[in-house]
Amino acid sequence: MSLLLTKRLARSLWRTKLRLSAVVFMVAVGVFAGISFGTYANAATNLYDEIYDGDDGVNLADIWIDNPSGLWNESTSEQICDSISSQWPETDYDLNSCESRLILDGVMFIADGDGEEKVIPAVWHGINDGMIDKVWMPTYSDLSSGRIAETSDEIVLDSHIAVDLGVEVGDGIDISSGNGKMEYEVVGIGFHPMHLYFATEGSTIPADSGTYATGYLTASGLERLGNISSGSSNMILIDVQGTPDYDLQSTSDVDENPELTRLVSDLSQLMSEIDESPVSVYDRSGVFSVELLRADAEGASKMYPYVTGMIAAIAGITIFLSLQRLIQSQAKEIAVLRTLGVPKKAIMPGYVIAPLVIGAIGSLVGALLGTYVGAPGMLSFYEEIIGLPIKSEPDFSLITQIVSIAMLIVLLAGLRPAWQASRLQPLKVFRGQHEVKVSSRKMQKITSKLPATVGLSIRSSLRKPVRVSFTFFAVGISMLLFGAMLFMMSSMEDSLLGGIKDKQSWDIQASTPLDGESAAIDWVEQNGGNYELMINFPIGLENDSREMVSFGLDKFSTVEEKTSMISVELLEGKIPEIGSNPTQVLVDEGTSKFLGWQAGDEVTIMVGNTAHTVEISGLTKGEISRTIYFHRAELSAITGVESTSILIQIPDGTSLDGLSDVTIGYSLKEDAINTFESLLEQQQQFVQSIQFLGIVIAIAVLFNTLLMNLAERDSELATLRVLGAPMSKLGTMMFWEHLAIGLIGGILGAVFAYFGTVLLIGSQVQWAFYFTIEPQFAATFTIVGIIVAISVALTPIGMWRIKKMDLVDKVKDFSQ
Amino acid sequence: MPLMQISNLQRHYDMTSGVVKALDGINLEIEEGERIVLLGPSGSGKTTLLNCVAALDSPTAGEYLFAGKEVPKDKSEEMTTFRRENIGYVFQFFNLLQDLTVLENILLIQELSGEKNKERALELLKLVGLENEVDRFPAEISGGQQQRVAIARSLAKSPKLLLGDELTGNLDSKTSEMVMEVLVKACKSENITTIMVTHDEKLTNYATRVVRLDSGKIISDKKINE
Repeated sequence: MSLLLTKRLARSLWRTKLRLSAVVFMVAVGVFAGISFGTYANAATNLYDEIYDGDDGVNLADIWIDNPSGLWNESTSEQICDSISSQWPETDYDLNSCESRLILDGVMFIADGDGEEKVIPAVWHGINDGMIDKVWMPTYSDLSSGRIAETSDEIVLDSHIAVDLGVEVGDGIDISSGNGKMEYEVVGIGFHPMHLYFATEGSTIPADSGTYATGYLTASGLERLGNISSGSSNMILIDVQGTPDYDLQSTSDVDENPELTRLVSDLSQLMSEIDESPVSVYDRSGVFSVELLRADAEGASKMYPYVTGMIAAIAGITIFLSLQRLIQSQAKEIAVLRTLGVPKKAIMPGYVIAPLVIGAIGSLVGALLGTYVGAPGMLSFYEEIIGLPIKSEPDFSLITQIVSIAMLIVLLAGLRPAWQASRLQPLKVFRGQHEVKVSSRKMQKITSKLPATVGLSIRSSLRKPVRVSFTFFAVGISMLLFGAMLFMMSSMEDSLLGGIKDKQSWDIQASTPLDGESAAIDWVEQNGGNYELMINFPIGLENDSREMVSFGLDKFSTVEEKTSMISVELLEGKIPEIGSNPTQVLVDEGTSKFLGWQAGDEVTIMVGNTAHTVEISGLTKGEISRTIYFHRAELSAITGVESTSILIQIPDGTSLDGLSDVTIGYSLKEDAINTFESLLEQQQQFVQSIQFLGIVIAIAVLFNTLLMNLAERDSELATLRVLGAPMSKLGTMMFWEHLAIGLIGGILGAVFAYFGTVLLIGSQVQWAFYFTIEPQFAATFTIVGIIVAISVALTPIGMWRIKKMDLVDKVKDFSQ
Repeated sequence: MPLMQISNLQRHYDMTSGVVKALDGINLEIEEGERIVLLGPSGSGKTTLLNCVAALDSPTAGEYLFAGKEVPKDKSEEMTTFRRENIGYVFQFFNLLQDLTVLENILLIQELSGEKNKERALELLKLVGLENEVDRFPAEISGGQQQRVAIARSLAKSPKLLLGDELTGNLDSKTSEMVMEVLVKACKSENITTIMVTHDEKLTNYATRVVRLDSGKIISDKKINE
């Protein structure tokens, strides 16, 4: 390889500084994004592993036995653990410990800004032995402090709510759980594995500041709060030796640990023999917080190589096109060198090294920015959203991985142009044959009726189909970054906010004690309100560890009718008819997708350990969690539970005094809406950053291509100028040309963004989180508009270029 | 009144090695309908003079009147307007737009000048003998044919002055003759004045006047009887 040839190439590249910096920028952005997202994905995965099973972790249970329909008294609780211990099934896993736990819904009383008492829904844990599912109080973080509760008037408040409300160790707080208000002293602030993802039960949205509380008392402390007899429990936690894998909900066709699945099934069978309650037995995949965080970390891990790859691919395309253009402009020089006897192998290396140097510079910039700006920013954003302390350290294996992906792509991008450069035929170049390309007859026919200026614009733009296609592809990818966010945010807003605003008309949703709904009904009637009773109950599947949430509704209506407090959006089928045999139900679209259930099918569901056949009368749309709707009476018949909550509509301005005395806890629709709005707002900054990135990349790609198109047409445009074409006419011609490119690119970008997002979301959705992307006119229009605007905005640059053209110099080229 | 009056025209370039006098006091009067061939060795100033005449370049000093009016200088758009209204230009390498057919190449110039006239475009193609090639692309016709298209294109907006810079320099002698015959015929029929820069002495056969330059000065100026 000749040093002089390489030096010459470097100088040629340096002359295209602006385009060169666009390419370096894109490589840097790819590496930056990869490191930022990758750090987040790795930190999330490591964090949860450390919390669940680390030395200072919580010793997350391996199997949970949940009794949603009532409480076990002391002797039953003890008997269950004794029976489990003595009748432990034949399995590879030894029983480590079995612990009963009491978990109650309730409320926390806080004073709002005006000094008025406000009630927020809460979940209180009574932790006795505390060997499993311990409270997590990391010493490295100031988000936790104090100690665990030791006496019956002490509580550890969850860090999320403590930070939101400014509660500190030593403060007293008022709480209740259906038995009046009591004061507890906060002795610690910490986290609990079931509430690391801090959301109300079943919600995929983290609770808005100050709208949800959890706390960890001693067992006796919680019994005192709920006025429940000593030793009562509604949850059994089982810890086995080691940390077994479990069947992931995201891989429905693979069971990661059939042995554990079998153990869960055996224990479920055992429970049906020990106790009559319809219990739910599940492994870690059945714990909503655990599964959602795992799914999130898994999604991020899956996603970041794609994000890096996509941006690096755009950089690769830009490098490919730029090198091709460079080779075209240097064709005569190369031909001269070849004529003078320079071998092919001396020509090629320079064009291979060039992209590697560009890639190395871009990677270095991207790695530095990603490590010291992107990754800490991403972790801080995640910490803010999720409220957990995350350790941040540079991950050198990740940096190496990302830089390797970027360098591989730029290397591949440079190979073809380098090969082409080394194979240029000197004679063809000197005759100008390498540039002359007969225009397409078809294109000529299509545009023949148009004015020559318009025809020229269209034909010139499409003269290099590979370049145009690659450009549109790169614009499409950049719009995927932009559009995915746009489509996702719009669909999420429709789904989350629309789900509660348009489909639900209740004002308050209150949890009632078992068989204690009459007091709440009296309260509603005294206040001139309306109510509907509802049952929420976990529903299992036959030979499947996954669970669904059931809703037992008093009344059914569709979103068009809205005659009930919760209405459903029917995708197909009809509302269930009460009294049908088998019982008719609605299931959500996600369930239908994951289980292949269709309207009209008769399917088996499990309530506790009992199988029931139900008929699917229709499918609903818009539920993020897997949902099954029953008529309440029919769900009550199979669960033995009359109701778990009451939906209340009250006249505006009605005081909520007394409601906390007759319910276990309640939440306001207004708070739920605020939660969604707050989450969307929180994500705005992140979403806008990604969107900005997409736009900047699209600008760089279009800028590069349009500038190359113009450079290639220098002689054409100079000819027209010499022949007297006014700037205004050339400007108009260029405007239409850019408009056409913008429109085509924009439409393709929108299509790419939509289908790309659908594919992306399709690869991310899991049992715990199902989401669909809807085509939206506003989002599509925005994407098309942005590309058109970018493209058209480059017209003045083109005009400036023509204006500063030295015609005398150009004419020399035309005649010598 | 002569079509062009050039008095003491100078075009100097400031180079690091000193001032280069590409044109050093040119005086020339050209009547309408003349066909002038500019001859001279390389570096004599032929092309620089042609560029100044075409208002592509601005002279450093001197006066240049066209149809009695001063030709604009140093103002890009005014110079472009002057070219659009008065000048036709034929290049050595034809410079046809490869994406447009023969006919469209002519229509384009008309469109950009704001006077589209397809009949005239076809008439001009007939004048240069290419009436059967209207729908072909430049790459599909010979060099001589391409140069004839370029001539037709330069005549499309009825210029008063047609300039050619080595317009046969890329053609063999037989094709050169054919092109020149077409050019003369077309210019005669349209009463267009012509200035052609060339190294080729044979082109003087088609001229009514031969001007020789050397070192930026006119060294001879002879009229030839047709």
